[in-house]
Amino acid sequence: METTLLAQSLLLALTTAGLYAAIASGLTLEFGVTGIINFAHGEFVMLGAFLTYFLYETAGVPPLAGMLLAGLAMTALSWLVFDGFLSRVLKQDEHNQILATIGLSILLINLAMIAWTPDARVMHAPPLLPPLQLGDVIVPGNNLVVLLVGIALYAGMIWFMRHTRQGLLLRLAADDPQLAVLAGVDVTRMFRLSFLIGGLTAGVSGGLVALILYVQPLVGVDLVMRAFAIVALGGLGSIGGALIGAVLLSAAENLTATFVPGGGSWGYGVAFVIIVLVLVVRPTGLFGSERRA
Amino acid sequence: MKTGLTRLLPYVLILLATLALVWIDKPFWIQLAIGVAITAITALAWDILSRTGQVSLGSAAFFGIGSYTLAIFEPLIGLALAWIAVVVVCALAATLLGLLTLRLRRMYFAIATLGFALSMQVLVVVFPDWTGGSGGIAPPVLADGDPRWQLGLIGLLLLAAVALSDALLGLRFRPAFFMIRTKPELAAASGVPVVRMKIFAFIVSGVLIGLAGACYGGLYGYVVPTDVFTTNWSVLPLAIATLGGMDTTIGPLLGAIALKALEEVARSVIGGTGYQVVYGAVIILFVIGMPQGIVGLLRKAAALAGRRTAAGEKKKERERHA
Repeated sequence: METTLLAQSLLLALTTAGLYAAIASGLTLEFGVTGIINFAHGEFVMLGAFLTYFLYETAGVPPLAGMLLAGLAMTALSWLVFDGFLSRVLKQDEHNQILATIGLSILLINLAMIAWTPDARVMHAPPLLPPLQLGDVIVPGNNLVVLLVGIALYAGMIWFMRHTRQGLLLRLAADDPQLAVLAGVDVTRMFRLSFLIGGLTAGVSGGLVALILYVQPLVGVDLVMRAFAIVALGGLGSIGGALIGAVLLSAAENLTATFVPGGGSWGYGVAFVIIVLVLVVRPTGLFGSERRA
Repeated sequence: MKTGLTRLLPYVLILLATLALVWIDKPFWIQLAIGVAITAITALAWDILSRTGQVSLGSAAFFGIGSYTLAIFEPLIGLALAWIAVVVVCALAATLLGLLTLRLRRMYFAIATLGFALSMQVLVVVFPDWTGGSGGIAPPVLADGDPRWQLGLIGLLLLAAVALSDALLGLRFRPAFFMIRTKPELAAASGVPVVRMKIFAFIVSGVLIGLAGACYGGLYGYVVPTDVFTTNWSVLPLAIATLGGMDTTIGPLLGAIALKALEEVARSVIGGTGYQVVYGAVIILFVIGMPQGIVGLLRKAAALAGRRTAAGEKKKERERHA
């Protein structure tokens, strides 16, 4: 009984880890390249969730296609946001950089509240996959989809960074922007590219959120807080660290909720105890480097 | 650089405004002024901390700790000692967080302080026996619930915050603080006690925010965790100080007045849901348009005016010679 509970808890943790990793890796890529923490990243996820939800509920677009459309829409919005104003704060002081994306986050949340009310909605789509039974443990089909799409997003990003020319340039711009300029790289273009990729992954992750969670203007806040914890665990700017951070956080959260009495109400508090502890021991995260801080 | 008269301006304005509002005794304006004063105190406190290069997203932690400490200690040790407990507990929490985050820089510092604030909120929910959990807690009502006296007391606290901010902008602290921010290694090498100064700024800032939080809790004598530990109380001070003008005393004051006035207008136009959209819009416009805040704009205008009068005098002189 106890082991079944443990296995169930860990398997569910693994599926949410796929979602967390997808969200956190976009956030960490943006930071690694531009040095800016995008506090509005969660709001792109939230908008992606609403898009997927409305596409399905009003036009009957299948969730997987809706997710892709949401990803494309968020890429376009990221482009607009970056060229519209984020590109202008890149050279400003850090408090202005922090404030800029926080301002965007407040703006998007409240626009969503005005447009769609603060109430939570649930997408009534039939499960995309049959549930998976492993002995006594059952994993719902939609959780499987989340795991698969999350891993695909994450793997796609790693592949892009390692095996394409643009990925190489991105890594150069992240490692040493001055050298990148000397090498003739258009650094602003690389900065924009990192935000476009971040927007794409956030939009698709939004679709995943609509599948297994609820759709609500504040849903992005909860998720981005966890993404901060993951990124702090894995090291700001480290995409590889994001996956490990996601698995660790997700496991810690699910185990607390299952085994600690009343642990379900701890929410992302678990995440933040982890953040503070890790940063105290290793100020640049478990897998981060000293280079950017 | 600054004449004695302009230095006194904030004090005179706060005193006159408080007295006038208490005299007129219109509930709406008194509530608005209380809101402005509390946010101005938190913004001044945030600014004091940021002068040592510590850009915090953890103000809400101290705001909440302040109101909760007053509420928890008042039945145990009485009102007067409970207020002292607020100061002591906030100073201890500030020292702890300051030491924990000493080695963290820039974005890591911001994330860790944000994490601290959110952990505090969870802590309150996890120990409901002491804190009332998510149901909230009842701090003693400030000044027997008379809004005029409440405004008077909070006005005094604001005056204290202004005086502290001015003192820390004086010759004794300003150079050390700003050197720690821009060149910490150089500061350490030239004998500035970097760690002590950073912790000192953290304590001053934390205690001020904690006292503001305790006052806030005493306005109605009832608070819930999501009310005082909300991220709003971490973002608002940063936004107000930046919009008003950092590294000044008058900046956070102007910023608090401007933002609260705007909030009232937005609330009456948009309604209770989503009115904070103006915060987002204003923050974005300011960051693009006037990154130095209102004070930066005023300075630019003054410099422009100064150049114009100087040019005018030169012209007159030339005409006289001709």
